[in-house]
Amino acid sequence: MIVAEQKPLDEIMQSVSEDKNVLVLGCGTCVTVCFAGGEKEAEILAASMRMRSEMSDGGCTVDHLTIQRQCEWEYLDSAADAIKGADKVVSLACGIGAQAIIERFPEAQMVPGLNTRFYGLPTKQGVWEERCGGCGDCVLEYTDGICPVSRCSKSLLNGPCGGSHDGLCEVSDEMECAWHLIVERMEKLGHLDRLEEMHEPKNWSAARDGGPGKIVREDLLREPPGEVDEGEEGTGS
Amino acid sequence: MSEQSSAATPQSNLAKVFASGAFAVTGELGPPKGADPEVIREKAKLLKGFVDAVNITDNQTAVVRMSSIAAAALSHQAGVEPIVQMTCRDRNRLAIEADLLGAWALGLRNLLCLSGDHQTFGNHKDSKNVWDIDSIQLVKMMEDMRSKGIFINGEELEGEPPDFFLGAVENPFADPLHYRPFRVAKKVRAGAKFLQTQCIYNMDKFKDFMSKLGDMGVLDDIHIMAGLSPLKGPGMAKYMRDMVPGMDVPDEVVERMTGAGQGIEDKAERSKAWRAEGIKYCIEQIQEVREIPGVRGVHVMAIEWEEAVKPIVEGAGLLPRPQAIGSAASA
Amino acid sequence: MSEFKPGIVAFCCHHCAYGAADLAGAMRLAYPDSIRVVRLPCTGKLDVAHVLSAFEHGADGVMVAG
Repeated sequence: MIVAEQKPLDEIMQSVSEDKNVLVLGCGTCVTVCFAGGEKEAEILAASMRMRSEMSDGGCTVDHLTIQRQCEWEYLDSAADAIKGADKVVSLACGIGAQAIIERFPEAQMVPGLNTRFYGLPTKQGVWEERCGGCGDCVLEYTDGICPVSRCSKSLLNGPCGGSHDGLCEVSDEMECAWHLIVERMEKLGHLDRLEEMHEPKNWSAARDGGPGKIVREDLLREPPGEVDEGEEGTGS
Repeated sequence: MSEQSSAATPQSNLAKVFASGAFAVTGELGPPKGADPEVIREKAKLLKGFVDAVNITDNQTAVVRMSSIAAAALSHQAGVEPIVQMTCRDRNRLAIEADLLGAWALGLRNLLCLSGDHQTFGNHKDSKNVWDIDSIQLVKMMEDMRSKGIFINGEELEGEPPDFFLGAVENPFADPLHYRPFRVAKKVRAGAKFLQTQCIYNMDKFKDFMSKLGDMGVLDDIHIMAGLSPLKGPGMAKYMRDMVPGMDVPDEVVERMTGAGQGIEDKAERSKAWRAEGIKYCIEQIQEVREIPGVRGVHVMAIEWEEAVKPIVEGAGLLPRPQAIGSAASA
Repeated sequence: MSEFKPGIVAFCCHHCAYGAADLAGAMRLAYPDSIRVVRLPCTGKLDVAHVLSAFEHGADGVMVAG
């Protein structure tokens, strides 16, 4: 899932300081399960903002609403009235949902209420850890299921660097050394010989380095109903 | 070892020392946190004649300093053969290739390929890192450039390709411990001709590491240089033990350094005694590593203590150094 | 300032604290009229949002008893 953290209240208040009607828009998907921007967080943030406003000039009304998913038009449309009626929308979605708001409603004013951090996994209650770097060229088959691109601080592809100690990364004792885990697992599975051959330099062009990502699936493309050529048979449902 | 380029091109002095069968000595020259070339010249003076070549660090511990290649060129002009350090932290493959073409053009002949410390250790913690390629891929990239005359993308380069004497590093004390010799073998296969180790304080572990390399049969293909760093005092020993990831400093080393200053009240005198002990210990270590099969030299890292190199190398009976051939002045 | 009488919202568990408040009444024991009791089936039901709501509506303090 996408893991995010809420921005500090001061920062959020600063971003709505000129506004009278504010909508805190929660998202019911990834950021709900990482307790950053779901219904509950939206309610709490709205109450906190109202009190903060009350304590200063008191001129700001803050409502909250949570939709299932901010990153899809259909769900966003269900909040159309609330979004259009607000001077500013504080999006408690990841960066994708936040941008979807202004793509769908270009006249809306949006500020982010979250900092989107990574693609991760709740490893235990209250702990989320990065697991994928979205590099577009998955190497998990080679590394026996542990991602060095996202979990090695240096994204190394040919084994651990010299800073690995006690199974931990040189960057922080809070981080596991991904290559330590990989070596251990490869040993267990009898695959350590894979590390003898050099892993070629990675093609980073499928990642951010190749420019913004875009996937087009010809087989799924459908013209919007209104734009189908006159006279042409509809393709059915 | 490998075939070197035409006789007209000055070759690596370090490679020649190895080829002659002599026990090699390299040192370390950290570029300044500034733009003053005199700093390099002063340090070079302290090292000239006592080492075969010096590592010129590349933003060591991710602290910004004068560029490794520029500092190496200054060292080269000052008559001390440099080993250009190149990390993968700050440059992508494009920048590394370009910079190293330039390094060769400036007359620099040795290249040491490293991953690089993470930038969170340094003084630019907010910066973006690169690691487009890793240290092993870097060795391979430069080996292909040297032997096939191609860039990493397969394109041929113009003219005579750079023929760097390629080095790599390994930390025999880092985890997973038993994997380390395999990583060395991988670096050898990638094209490394010499390898400097992390500072050794735990000699038993280092001997294990060397014997594993022997069992794997890679010692004929690579010149291993034992990394040694003279201790300035017990404080440095403790810092290395407790604070530097991947360092293995046994307690008896700390105790030995502490003992050297015991009973000396005067601060300056105590520091002198510590340093004398540090040098003595380093000399003993050189003698010990010389006895280990496969160790072909030492890399003496006297960090911000270049004055220590002469007494260490002298004390270990490694002077005079083999004459530098085709040195700086001719470039 | 000595006149200040804080408005307190007391969130009480039905099974204990609320019963105690009831009993206090039966025993003619008085507690300040600035305390407003909100009965919860269990204090485990209490949510941050309820506490914030109490403050938003003018409470000076919140008591949770259970």
